[in-house]
Amino acid sequence: MVFLSLSCWIRNRGPDRYWKVQEVLKHARHFRGRKNRCYSLAVLAVRRAFVYATKARRFKKRNMRTLWITRIAAASREHGMKYPALMHNLTKTSVQLNRRVICDLAITEPRSFLSLAKLARARQQEGLRAALGDGKEPPGVLSRVVVLQ
Amino acid sequence: MTARGTPSRFLKSVLQNGVGRYVCQLKRISIIFSKKGQGSLGIRDFIEEGVVDYAKKNPTTVVYVSPQPCRIPKIVAEYMNGTVREEIVTNKTSPQISELLAKMTNQSGLDIIRIRKPFHTDSPSIQGQWHPFTNRPPSIDPIRPKKEDSQ
Repeated sequence: MVFLSLSCWIRNRGPDRYWKVQEVLKHARHFRGRKNRCYSLAVLAVRRAFVYATKARRFKKRNMRTLWITRIAAASREHGMKYPALMHNLTKTSVQLNRRVICDLAITEPRSFLSLAKLARARQQEGLRAALGDGKEPPGVLSRVVVLQ
Repeated sequence: MTARGTPSRFLKSVLQNGVGRYVCQLKRISIIFSKKGQGSLGIRDFIEEGVVDYAKKNPTTVVYVSPQPCRIPKIVAEYMNGTVREEIVTNKTSPQISELLAKMTNQSGLDIIRIRKPFHTDSPSIQGQWHPFTNRPPSIDPIRPKKEDSQ
């Protein structure tokens, strides 16, 4: 044969390029534009998406907590109290409910939340009387709550 | 591995299984192994010792044992809702295989993807869910039957 080096130019490439590409594209299917179809654009977009997902795991906890606090503040303002007063007085009466549970109560059990707000307000009044009355009146019932370790 | 990129589901049970009678959701187990291969050694030991006890303990599950010439031994589990799960058991010991079978028996056939919340309730609100008029006093008095003052 005349062209002896022709056969040296044929290369066997790898057989699984399709699946390696699909592994990346499957994480990009819900993206907008050409990033969901074209591999070179999708690689960068998928890498950013994963980085954001990793960082967001720490932010999610913060965001959920601020959401609960906002909701508890709104619910307590409906009953004439403010959020810091409510939480401080609830801890003073050793009600150990966390913000997530109090937020769910405010949404699904409004009357239970009302009773929590009344309890906090009673404790607040006792605290004010103890601070301003200077010990001539007997201490209130709620201030004598035993805090269990 | 983003939350929106991967599928997720809510916690649920198949047709409220367990509220009344508990029905084991595992329909069929097919054990595919080879009679001579060294990867199927654990499976062969399990079939000698444990498979009959397993089948007696779970009378609702059908156990098929099929020796075939195959490279990799497998356990194929089919559930009542149609899901099929294959587990490769090459080079596993007999107690490991019985643990694996116990795990598969306790599973329902629902997909093994991210569960959004670890709890679920059909009636989340007992006192009535909050709406903007819950804590507002009504603007008119309640409607009562008219009192006859002249009588």
